[in-house]
Amino acid sequence: MYGLDAISAHNGWQLAALGISIVFTCLILLSLAISQIHKALDFWDRRYIYYQRIKKLVQRKHRSEATVSDPVLPKNVKESACQCKLLIERIGEPFPLPRLIDFSKKCGLLNSHSSVNDLLQAKLIIPDGKGYFLWNHEVEKNIKVSMKMNS
Amino acid sequence: MPVDINIIDSLNLFEDLSHAELEEIAFLMSRIRVTEGEAITRRGAPAHTIFILLSGNFMVFFKEGRSYTLHNKGDIIGLSTVVIPFYYTGTAVALSDGVVLSMPGQELLRLIESNPVMSDKIMKKINQIVSARLPFVTGRC
Amino acid sequence: MVNLLIEFLSNTGFALAGYQNIVMILVGIVLIYLGIAKGYEPLLLIPIGFGILMGNIPVIRDFGLGIYEKGSFLNYMYYGVMHDIYPPLIFLGVGALTDFSALLARPSLMLLGAAAQVGIFATFLGALALGFAPNEAASIGIIGGADGPTAIFLTAVLAPRLIGPVAIAAYSYMALVPVIQPPIMRLLTSRKERLIKMEEPREVSKKEKLIFPIVGFLLCCFIAPGALPLLGMLFFGNLLKESVVAERLARAARSSIIDTVTILLGVAVGASTQGDIFLTSKSIGIFILGASAFAVATAAGVIFAKFMNLFLRQKINPLIGAAGVSAVPNSARVVQIVGQAEDPTNFLLMHAMAPNISGVIGSAIAAGILWSFLGG
Repeated sequence: MYGLDAISAHNGWQLAALGISIVFTCLILLSLAISQIHKALDFWDRRYIYYQRIKKLVQRKHRSEATVSDPVLPKNVKESACQCKLLIERIGEPFPLPRLIDFSKKCGLLNSHSSVNDLLQAKLIIPDGKGYFLWNHEVEKNIKVSMKMNS
Repeated sequence: MPVDINIIDSLNLFEDLSHAELEEIAFLMSRIRVTEGEAITRRGAPAHTIFILLSGNFMVFFKEGRSYTLHNKGDIIGLSTVVIPFYYTGTAVALSDGVVLSMPGQELLRLIESNPVMSDKIMKKINQIVSARLPFVTGRC
Repeated sequence: MVNLLIEFLSNTGFALAGYQNIVMILVGIVLIYLGIAKGYEPLLLIPIGFGILMGNIPVIRDFGLGIYEKGSFLNYMYYGVMHDIYPPLIFLGVGALTDFSALLARPSLMLLGAAAQVGIFATFLGALALGFAPNEAASIGIIGGADGPTAIFLTAVLAPRLIGPVAIAAYSYMALVPVIQPPIMRLLTSRKERLIKMEEPREVSKKEKLIFPIVGFLLCCFIAPGALPLLGMLFFGNLLKESVVAERLARAARSSIIDTVTILLGVAVGASTQGDIFLTSKSIGIFILGASAFAVATAAGVIFAKFMNLFLRQKINPLIGAAGVSAVPNSARVVQIVGQAEDPTNFLLMHAMAPNISGVIGSAIAAGILWSFLGG
């Protein structure tokens, strides 16, 4: 038997259609799973930071406390400032700069080196003259004040 | 590939040098691109190469996490190539992408030793920088 | 004494040789020549070529020398082919060599690897139409997967007598990818499409690369259990590589193990290629269908990429659809070359690696599916 008859006789059309459908289904599901892996990992790595944010939200009900969430800085620097401040509070001041960078990397902050560099350039992190660094609360206050004036 | 002499001319370390001296130095140098997070020196490793910042930002850290940062064109990393202990006392890591000039320390030493006038001009500046950084290395800040 | 001499002479190859032996020996020599002088897939064609020489030396039956005689040296080597031991071990090495970053950075490109597997099923239908039995048709169709170990894996189960021509067709066409693909790619794409520049893929973290082999293996094998031996070893090899702590094992997998198995597989496949199967019209049909399998797979990948562009904001260069033909990394390199012929600044290689690698996974899944349908 040859030709289309042979194909029909051996259920060729069904086999081929089902086969390619299964291949597509499998790879679609795999691509969907892969696309979510890095988001899940991001969320897991930043769980401490999210926990701290929730904690602060709850604490804000009891006392009014300005957060560092709205400094007048570029968006990416704003985000890393927020995250780094939380990490610095955890490490304690004065802190070793390499430790902040390591800790930021472990907590999932992308480009931890350049993020810390941005904060150094914005003078939110300053040296203490003894090889360690401090968070600059004065500059942070000024940034928040100028933001309030602008709004 | 030798570096353009105009780049070196603008650097603080070499500002007192003559054109001929600059040419000799330029011949020994090469430009290197560094990426964020890349370490160009490691504490304890033999100091073979000296680096001069052209662009970018660096952190140099020592024992117990003490560190300082370098952001300006002309800042130098790896001075231990020309002064004792001749091994890197700190680890230098790029905080952002940038470009550095690199020069084999032995070649710079040879140049300095063979040219007392140049030696005087360069070593004065190197000693000033070393003195400023020594507290970070020793921990006696 | 004269009788002894006559008996000895009558047992020599010269006395026993038929025209089929001579032709197959010439085929073996041609393959060795292609491997050494032309550099066509030398790591496979040289062992296969020499295996053909070994397997087609005329020997007395029941002397314990032929490949199909139990207990012979060649038969022991052939055991690994017949019982699907060698292909999964090769996939172990492939996994330990492969970097899945390109795939992880842009998972949607996996679909191009899936589309290219249309070549397998289209060729399966074509083989049925030409009068091949379903199991033989599946073994011929899998040539379109452009993956030698996968083709041998499936053929050993479904149509072991066709292993020789299928393997030789698969590896020959893999080497000819730079000849087969470019005309099809140019025919199916416009110049404007070939000039599309794709955006840089995102950086993939180490953790993602560690999690992927486990997730990929579980998901694929739950859906298509027939792919378990191949995908299991592929993802296991990759996990060894990415874990870093098992670098010794990964190194062994991608060097000594894969090299040893390649030698054994090549020689065994070559030795099993006998004249009574290879020098038939069936073989001609296999070679013609094999070429069409590659062509259809290339076309399907490119067309699917154009289809995806109808819905994507960030367009993909449809040329990379051709890399779904899983001849790693040849077809990705062909995409790079064809793309750069239009625009020398267009670097498509890294983007093409994603469908290239997903094609390996897709062809293994297709083999598993065909095995489930037609095996047993």
